[in-house]
Order: sequence, then C-alpha cells, then structure tokens
Amino acid sequence: MAVGAAAAVLGLALGLGVGAAPALAAAPAAAPASTPLDPASAQQSILVVARDNSAPPAKPLPGIPVEVKGGDYDVTVATGADGRVEVGVPAPGSYEVTLDTSKVPSGLALPSALAAARSIEVDAGNKQVLANYLFIAAGAAEHSAEPAPGATKTAGGADAGGPASASADFGRRIWPALATGLIYGLLLALASVGVSLIYGTTGLNNFAHGELVTFGGLMAYTFTSIAGLPGWLAIIVATVLGGAFGFVQDLGIWRPLRRKRVALIPLMIVSIGFSLAVRYLFQILYGPGTLLLPQDSAAAIAIGPIRLTSADAWAAGLAIVVLLGVAWLLTNTRIGKAARAVSDNRALAAASGIDVESVIRIVWVAAGALAGLGGALLAYYQTIQWDSGAQILLAIFAAVTLGGLGSAYGALAGSLVIGLFINVSAIWLPANLKLVAALVAMIVILLVRPQGILGRKDRIG
Amino acid sequence: MLDWTFIPLTLNQIISPQTIAFALAALGLAVHFGYTGLLNFGQAGFMAVGAYFFAITATRFDWPLWASVLAALVGATAFAFLLGIPTLRLRADYLSIVTIAAAEIVRYTVQTPDFSSFTGGSDGINGSEKGFEALDPLPDSVYKVGLVPYTNDDIWVIVVGWALVAVAAVFVWQLMRSPWGRIVKGIREDEDAVRSLGKNVYAFKLQALIIGGILGSLGAIINVIPTSLQPNNYGTQTTFFLWTIMLLGGATTVLGPIIGSILFWVVLGLSDGVIAILATSHALPLSQVQQGPVRFIIVGVALMLLVIFRPQGIFGKKKEAYFSA
Repeated sequence: MAVGAAAAVLGLALGLGVGAAPALAAAPAAAPASTPLDPASAQQSILVVARDNSAPPAKPLPGIPVEVKGGDYDVTVATGADGRVEVGVPAPGSYEVTLDTSKVPSGLALPSALAAARSIEVDAGNKQVLANYLFIAAGAAEHSAEPAPGATKTAGGADAGGPASASADFGRRIWPALATGLIYGLLLALASVGVSLIYGTTGLNNFAHGELVTFGGLMAYTFTSIAGLPGWLAIIVATVLGGAFGFVQDLGIWRPLRRKRVALIPLMIVSIGFSLAVRYLFQILYGPGTLLLPQDSAAAIAIGPIRLTSADAWAAGLAIVVLLGVAWLLTNTRIGKAARAVSDNRALAAASGIDVESVIRIVWVAAGALAGLGGALLAYYQTIQWDSGAQILLAIFAAVTLGGLGSAYGALAGSLVIGLFINVSAIWLPANLKLVAALVAMIVILLVRPQGILGRKDRIG
Repeated sequence: MLDWTFIPLTLNQIISPQTIAFALAALGLAVHFGYTGLLNFGQAGFMAVGAYFFAITATRFDWPLWASVLAALVGATAFAFLLGIPTLRLRADYLSIVTIAAAEIVRYTVQTPDFSSFTGGSDGINGSEKGFEALDPLPDSVYKVGLVPYTNDDIWVIVVGWALVAVAAVFVWQLMRSPWGRIVKGIREDEDAVRSLGKNVYAFKLQALIIGGILGSLGAIINVIPTSLQPNNYGTQTTFFLWTIMLLGGATTVLGPIIGSILFWVVLGLSDGVIAILATSHALPLSQVQQGPVRFIIVGVALMLLVIFRPQGIFGKKKEAYFSA
C-alpha cells in the first residue's frame, strides 16, 4: 500500500440532492447483489473519480479497481479511461467505497485527509454522489494534514460522511454552511430576479424559468467541455445565449399569446407545458446523467474554517457585481424606471407613453441572460444536468414568494434567505429534506405575511 | 423486424388500473379547477397522501381494508385543510405555488431514509393489497383480455376501479347540478359576486378542495393495489399529466377527465410504440435511452396547444372555459 495512514473519511456530494427525475410507473427491480447496477436506470448512483494531481492539471487514473459495498450489494468495478466510473446503487443509505490503491502507479498517494476506504451517504434519488480520489506525490502526502482543496464545498449542504458528526462541533459546520448558503443564495438570486421581473411586468408565473437556468448551464458545459473554450468566455457566451433564448421565447410564444389576450392562468399552464417539453428535449440532447465542467479545484481560499475554490469565489463575486448592476439599472436608468413603472401599473405606464411591449421584451432578454449566467455559474459551482433548473424551480419560487411577488429587490433578499436556510438547515436535517425546510418556511411566511418581505399588500388580492 | 404488437397491447390501457387512477384524480382536479377555479398543482400530493395513509395503515398496522380506505380519505381531507387554510384567502397563483410545493414536501419527506422503517423510503411500500384481494370473489384463474393475461386479482381491481369511477362521476355530476355546485361555479366565474350574496366563499373553496382531494386519494389507492407504492410516481410530472388529461377531456365536464385519461394513456402507449419502431428502423435518430423523454415532450406540447387553441377540451363548452384572473 502506497498510502499512509488515513486520518479522515471524506466525501462530497455534488448536486442539490433534490431527487432525480421521477420515473413514472417504473418499479426498480431487485438486482443480483454482485453485478453493478446500470447507473442510467438506477435511482441512485455513486460516481468514483480517480485522478493524479501530482503535477496539475490533474490527469485521470484509468483501470483502478473500486469496491462499492452496502447491505447485500457488493460490486467491484474499475475506473474508465477518463478515471471515472459510475456505479448504480439499489437503495439510499451508506455505502463503503474502497479504492484499490495497490493498482495506482507508485510515487502517488492520497493526501492524509482522503481515505482509500470511505463511507458515502447516498440519499434517495441522488445520482452521481461523488467519491473523489485525488492523488498527489507520495512525499507531499506526508505533509498534507490540511483537508484537500474543495473539501468544504458541500454544494447544497450534503456533507456526505464527513468527519464531523451532525451533533458535534457545530461551530465548525455553521461557517462553511453560511458561506455555501450565501453563494448558493446569490446564484439563486440571478434566476429569481428574472422570475420576479417577468411576474411584475406581465403577471406570468413562469414555470419554465428553470429551463432558462438549465440552458445557461448546458451552454457553459457545451462551450467548455465540448468546444474547449476557457471558462470565462463560456460564461459570457452562456449569458448572451440565455438572453437570446429569452428573446426568442418572448417573440415566439409569449408575445403572440399576449396579443391573443390569453388570460394569465392559461399562460401559466402554457409555461408548464413548455417547461416539460424543453426539459425533456435537453435530456434527449445531453443525456440523463450529470455533466461535470472542467474545474480547477486546486486554488483554494481559506478564511478560518471556510474554504472556497477560486471558482466559488469568482461565482460569488460575479453574482454580486451583476446583481448590484441590475439594481443600479432598475433605479437609475430610463429603461429600469420604465420596467418598474410597468410593474406598478401597466395601464398607467402605457398611458404615460412607455412602450410596454418593448419593456417586456427587454425584461425577457434580461431575465434570460440573468438565468443563463446563474445556470452557468451553478454548473461551475455544482454540476449541471438536464433537469437542474427544474430541481431549483421551487427554491426560486420560494425565494420570490418570500421576498414578495413582483419585487426585484425582494427576490434578491428572498434568495439569500432561502440559500442560507437550505444550507444551514442541512446541519440538522437529513440531506434530502433541505428543500423541504425552505418550502415549509415559504408556506409559513405566506400564513403570517402573505405579501412577503418586501412585497406590497395590494398585490396579494 | 418491426414489432406491431404494441397496438393491441396499448388497447389494454383503456381498462388499466393506471387509467382508472388518473381518471379519478383528474375528476378531482376538475372539481378543483374546472368547477371551482382553484389552481391546484399538487394533485399528486393528494394522491401520495392517500396512497401512504392507505399503505401504511394496511401494512404496518394491519388495519382492515375499510379502515385503511377511511384513513386515506381522512389523510386527504387533512391535507386539504393544511393547504387550504393558508392559501385559499390569497390570490389564485399563490395556491398554485403552495400546492406544488406541498406535494413535493410530501414526496421528499416520505423518501427520507430516516423515516424508511415507516414509509419504506424511496423503495416505497409493498403488500398493501392483501385486504383488497381477500375480498376477491373471482375464482383463481388467468383471464385473457385481448393479448394480455390478467389474474383474477387484476380483474377484481379493474372491476372495482371502474365501478368507483362510475360512482364518482355520478356523484360529481349530481353535485354540480345541486345548489352547492352552482355556488362553486359562481366562485369560479366571479368570487366577489358570490361573496356579495352572503356566501362564505372560503368555506366552499375548502369543501371543493377536500372533495377533489378525496377523489385523488381514491385514485391513488387503485394505483397502489395492483402494483406497489412508489414515491417517485407522485412527482410534479404526475400533476402535469393530470392537468393535461383534465384539459384534454374538458375541465368543466364529468366525462371529460375520464375519457381524457383513456385517450391520454392510449395515445402515450401508441406514440411510445411508433417512436420505438421509427427508431429501430432508423427513421428517427434516437437511441434507446433517448426514446423515453419523447412522451414527455408530447405531453408538454399537447398541454400548450390545448390551453391555447382548445381550452374547453373535447367535451367542454366554450362558454364555460373561462379562466378567471
């Protein structure tokens, strides 16, 4: 064994953990215990990644045997040419994942914070729960008492099988949870502001907004992982294409329906149908699995117990700048004032000479671009898959409702609250109840203050 | 070699328990939306609550059939109160967000591993059909309908299911001809007008929510008995399927949701078969994995087109397909 004594078991669960696509009328068959479940059809899966990071960028380690064991399910698979292998698991629960380090080239070792054998918590419906093996030079491993880079990137709060038990050292968990919550809230805000602007100007509750987010993430994936553009350029492209998607949607669907004077409830149902159609089109084009963007997880920033990868920090910084920019635009420019005027009273705005249709068009473009940017950053921050946007749609709605339907600033405030709530509640709650906590909070808020934090009372009618 | 047997097989969807379940739940949704104007996007939640109350009481506590069914109805009623009290006073779109959220809360909660000794986690619950099948008067045998063999228990659930659909249809039909029905239809058209007549709009809405929810939970029981309880069958997709079914048949009719359910499942079965044939003969560039999502795209597009071009559905009257707000 080339590895020194392993100190801690460490795994990180990527993805929101809010459940995979519900497969209708598909009863999972009991699989023989010794054959690996097909990850495409399994409800849950573990993604094992083995890489050699002795000289960054990390190179894949192919052909390393990995044993995944839990209950009477015990399979051994080998990593593929990309150093990755996805193993379907039959049920949620705790799985022992053991990487056979004797097959790893000599001179490589795991940092002491990463154990070759670790227990991975798989929640119901969680796909591709990550078991990451990042090997470094054997000499360096002796000194690496620090957790590996990205270890605190709990991405939505599921710190799968971390060294700290849920009850112990609360202080050490609260700060990373606050940090991830804040970042997550900022990314959520990029989408929520658009929902709120569209709602304010057109009255439409856009159930297809999640697909705008997914679209941005998938574009980021397409232009980095497939086309090979640098990350910053891909994010810009995703934002621009997101705006274009919003524009085309408005032109092709929403504007004709407004002209046809279709009422708001049918419009909402149209957005549901559109969301279903687009989401599954994404699945056909990009497949049902999780897509990972190339990441440089090595560069980390540490502030006390909070550890951020440079991607996290960039995502947070960019989101803050853009959101401040949107706030400035709304308060200080003609178009921003016009948008707020249309939100306040459409008829009055039209009567005062504001071109309502063009304001709405700009709002759709802006909402699409913001959602596209949010999706691209989310793809970097976590992972992206065909229904990522649909999975966070309810969190977006919760944020918007919490902040007050139709208020852009409210959406921002609501998003931060929901982001924090989801991540901090994960300290006490089982991982797949994170979103539940946020949704319950939303319903309670509706009970006591239906207009939300910053909403106005007359909107709730 | 093209396999066309899917056509006769699909025709069995006409009587399948799934069709029955969706017909009942869509009829409940018609009471909510079509007749009362409530935007319930959580009908799958009502189904899940009914299914879990039924299955948990039947398997964990060994309650007799009547008691388990009663538990499901009580569960759906409680769920309606829980949803209705905070939201029925607010505008329609709040109800839509809260109901969709509540349905997802139910689905996530029952799947939590910590509760799995009770709810079965994401594996769901098996074996809740014992009490129902004990009442089966048919002799043990295999019956063939078309190409599909059915056990006597399958036939039993289909017979009881359709009887239930008939009873529910007559009930809703009579209900909507009654003074109560006229009031809820009035609420759909103009809430303030009904309120100005001195009616307690809030109470009527809550009653409608309960009745529709109970129909949804009955549908879920029919769905659970011949198979098993799978939590992922009660996600948002199910709700959207129900909306498509209801709007397809006609939201303001009794027969609409029932015929809609039959048509919906037959069309989906046929389209699955046609797409599989086109893909295997390379007329469509779709792999095996890519064929699954196509049905959802069809549903999504159908939903959009229905709402835009024929909001009254197949059987509805144009005059009644008026969506307030």
